[in-house]
Amino acid sequence: MMEKLSAKENTREKFIEAANRKKILAHKCTKCGHLMLETVLYCEKCSGSKFEHAELEGSGTVVTYTIQAVAPEGFEDVGPYAWVVFKLDSQQLRASGFLPGVKTPADLPIGTKVRVNGFDSKHGLILQK
Amino acid sequence: MTNSKVCVLGAGSTKYGKLNESIIEIALNAAKDAIDSAGITPKDIQAGYISNVFGVADKQVHIAPVIMSNLGISHVPGLTIESACGSGSVMFREAYANVAAGFYDCLLALGVEKVTHTGTVHSTTLFSYCSDFFYEGGNGASFPGLFASMARAYMHTHKATEEDLANVAVKNHENGFLNPKAHVRKRITVDEVLKSPVVASPLKLLDCCPFSDGASATILCSEEFAKKSGRPYMEVIGSGRGASPAAVQGREDITTIPSTVAAARQAYKMAGLTPKDINFAEVHDCFTIAEIIDIEDLGFFPKGKAAHAVRDGATRLRGEIPINPSGGLKSKGHPIGATGVGQVVEVFDQFTGNAGERTIPNAEIALTHNFGATGASAAVHIFRKVDRK
Repeated sequence: MMEKLSAKENTREKFIEAANRKKILAHKCTKCGHLMLETVLYCEKCSGSKFEHAELEGSGTVVTYTIQAVAPEGFEDVGPYAWVVFKLDSQQLRASGFLPGVKTPADLPIGTKVRVNGFDSKHGLILQK
Repeated sequence: MTNSKVCVLGAGSTKYGKLNESIIEIALNAAKDAIDSAGITPKDIQAGYISNVFGVADKQVHIAPVIMSNLGISHVPGLTIESACGSGSVMFREAYANVAAGFYDCLLALGVEKVTHTGTVHSTTLFSYCSDFFYEGGNGASFPGLFASMARAYMHTHKATEEDLANVAVKNHENGFLNPKAHVRKRITVDEVLKSPVVASPLKLLDCCPFSDGASATILCSEEFAKKSGRPYMEVIGSGRGASPAAVQGREDITTIPSTVAAARQAYKMAGLTPKDINFAEVHDCFTIAEIIDIEDLGFFPKGKAAHAVRDGATRLRGEIPINPSGGLKSKGHPIGATGVGQVVEVFDQFTGNAGERTIPNAEIALTHNFGATGASAAVHIFRKVDRK
């Protein structure tokens, strides 16, 4: 599950690159073992700054979500969609993303399995059921 | 020399709503009301603390010196503070701290916003920039959407219903109907809330506060300055700040706002009070779910019980703990840079006999609570009416 990753300077670029391979990029504090999303620079628990890269499977379960009936600019033409907070499988870590094609709450009960399906510059982290 | 007690000597607000004046004119109107209310003149003001978020939308940033110049006191230093929808209370805290530290004996603390001219769609987009944009706005979440996700989590965990949320809106519109400065002075029913168009499920249009223009201002001063004035005033007896993970995904429990809990704990401790000592509160009800979460996080009701309390009338104007007598953000309106200051204005009006039909009899201790974004930053203040007899 955890692999070493080639280093890049920009943390968001690295996160996006991993999302395009359907992964969530995290890092694990070498001092206390706490796991965080790649974009956090210091450990939330101990303020340590040395990390082991952790490339996690981009699959998890829906914690909560909304279906945006009134969409912000850039999302008006994508049809019904949900913005979803999901918990990664086997981790305490949560992430959030854009899930197209969700019309009603019946389409997405809390606990539904979702997975990362890429990242695009217009809609961010793309999810699929 | 420090000032051991900090007081509010004057307060004023414009009407909240769609306003035609420029952002500077709106700010100046509130400033004048506050100056008149305090019985001072601009020459008494030693600093200007200004909260604002989207001045750029009305082609004006670096807004503080422009306000000070137009008050005829261009030599008086001003600064502008931005903390999204919590800007007003966060700014008020900094203003308070600077009087307490003894840097100033009298200052203007003013919040202002003007966005309605940009239209609903663009305002929605502007507001989404207040989120942790990489994870939220950039993935399609609007602010109603973010609070809708909190509402869904709360309803799932505590078995609350959409009708429970609607009760908050109905109560706040009842209060706002009595407030001549409120943006939406209209009584509504639970049925109307439930049948209003969905904005971001489960939240509907009438679960959401409006986009508003407006300004609110207060005059903060030392106790010595207040006493010399011979006018009614109130003392700031508690002040707290808190923070939460900027993104909703960073919170282990999405049904509470950590910044509120932390800020309230500090403010209660400083005041030597508990939630039971508060006579009424102005809280951050940008969406109905926010008020439910707030009044639990502030300690007025146990976790998961607020919806029942609202249904039973405990938070109404004549209830055991009136919440948002002004009408709150929901009815009074939400000019985001001004909102936190507007809450203080409501407390001042209540304590000085200027709240009309909204007056809560014999109120002497009140709390204000205001946060930025989904609660990434928050401030809580507690005020005591000073008896001049």
